[in-house]
Amino acid sequence: MSLKKQDDMDHNAWLKSQDLTAIETAFLTTLIWLDKRLRIVDYLELLETMYYRANLQMPKSHTEQYDLDNKFWYWYPLYSLGSLSIIAYLLAAVSGALLGFYYAPSTAGAAAQGDPTAAYDSMVMIMKDVQFGFMLRSIHRWAAQFMVAAVFLHMLRVYFTGAYKEPREVNWILGVVLIALTLLFGFSGYVLPWKQLSFWAAQIGVELALATPIIGEWAAQLLFGGFTLGQATLVRMYILHVFVLPFVVTALIAIHVGIVWVQGIAEPH
Amino acid sequence: MTDDTTPMTDGGTDDEARTDGGPPATVPPDDETPTWSERKEHSQGLAQLTYQYFERSRREDEDLRTESTYVERDVLGFPTWPHETIRNLAITSFFLGMILLVASILPSHFGDPANPGSTPAIILPDWYLYWSFGLLKLSPINPELAVLGGNIIVSNELYGLIAHGAIFGVITLVPFLNKGNARRPVEEPGWAALGVTGVILAITLAVLAIQNFFPVPLELLFSLVFMLPVAGGVITYAVLKTMREGYMYDLNRRYYMLRPPK
Repeated sequence: MSLKKQDDMDHNAWLKSQDLTAIETAFLTTLIWLDKRLRIVDYLELLETMYYRANLQMPKSHTEQYDLDNKFWYWYPLYSLGSLSIIAYLLAAVSGALLGFYYAPSTAGAAAQGDPTAAYDSMVMIMKDVQFGFMLRSIHRWAAQFMVAAVFLHMLRVYFTGAYKEPREVNWILGVVLIALTLLFGFSGYVLPWKQLSFWAAQIGVELALATPIIGEWAAQLLFGGFTLGQATLVRMYILHVFVLPFVVTALIAIHVGIVWVQGIAEPH
Repeated sequence: MTDDTTPMTDGGTDDEARTDGGPPATVPPDDETPTWSERKEHSQGLAQLTYQYFERSRREDEDLRTESTYVERDVLGFPTWPHETIRNLAITSFFLGMILLVASILPSHFGDPANPGSTPAIILPDWYLYWSFGLLKLSPINPELAVLGGNIIVSNELYGLIAHGAIFGVITLVPFLNKGNARRPVEEPGWAALGVTGVILAITLAVLAIQNFFPVPLELLFSLVFMLPVAGGVITYAVLKTMREGYMYDLNRRYYMLRPPK
């Protein structure tokens, strides 16, 4: 049994038998050429299915059905806070990646206590020398501020409209976890410039960790790289800020939004 | 040893030269894939229970679908796509512009380099952690035990940490404590009052964290931190209770349209 050429569909003959314009011929030729290699017809079917699903006549929402729109529209902005925090998160991610090209997480270079370190100097370099760098840092910072504010307000909206009730308890808990991680995101980012305020905020963090019974010293070593602040602290905060938290938070946001997608938006009655 | 009719390990024979690898050595299991019901019959224990439950829940769905007509169906939420997504994109793109505008007109402050040798007069995190920082300044109400000669049981830092845990714990438990169909604050004045109390408490704790900026005696400030949230909660409760009467007529009308009494 060998690989004989099957009595295949002669697509080119079919193409010739059709009465087609030049554009149609070119399109079909390209399509056939690609389809022979990639079998895109399968994916086209998937796309088609998705297209029809997206364009189905949606069932009337509760709001439409009982004509609550006139009472409801001015709440719309509050319903977009979740997506605002995602947009701000994306903006912070993009500007943060660009900042990461120039930032150096190092405490080297300080001859005496209180001298600028490499991390501090790289921030100064970003703000003074890098083209568009000042704006870049400003955007990153303000995107973070907006994200935290939006996340807090989002939680308040969910609380006061009772949107956490019955089918949505899991998502509420996920949201609480996301808020905690967002705050950790902010805290680790606050430490990175290694200014006075960064240093002493981290100092309070270490003291808090050490005050925790049983796991305290372990947590201090894991998060801050020791009991006193230094190079290890800065690198750990950096890795937390640019590697660990982005993956974890992005994954949790995806699950959070996925659940919302499946369950629909809760409406006040 | 090798003769032409002996099947090779790949399932074919050696009678013709192969360049295509021959037929697959194993039969694809397509036809033998057990059906749903076969799998259910063969399984036991937890797997069987799982299949049984899935069967039940699918039947439940189907019954619901056949019994209810479209118009009377309870709509629990409106669709995320496309309604909500499109509206959100419109509103958030405005906010995206706001972020860029604010970033360009309010550049961020940049302080002195870190100096482990000198503690600054004011240590502060970013604004969104003020409430958390305020919780660490609750040492005046850290209970002292008379038995221990007025010694505190837990350190002030641990006391602050426990306060954090308590707050996050309560917030996490909210969906399990407050059940039912009520959606609007007027329907549950107590829970709305609790929410307002929490919001004001977060603000007053933030003020406690930046107490240096307020020319108020610390004792008074500390009292206000706890009095104001309670006052806010009571006022909210009173206002919502008063509004409730007026709202209930309207709400009842809508509820009856949604779930007609049987």
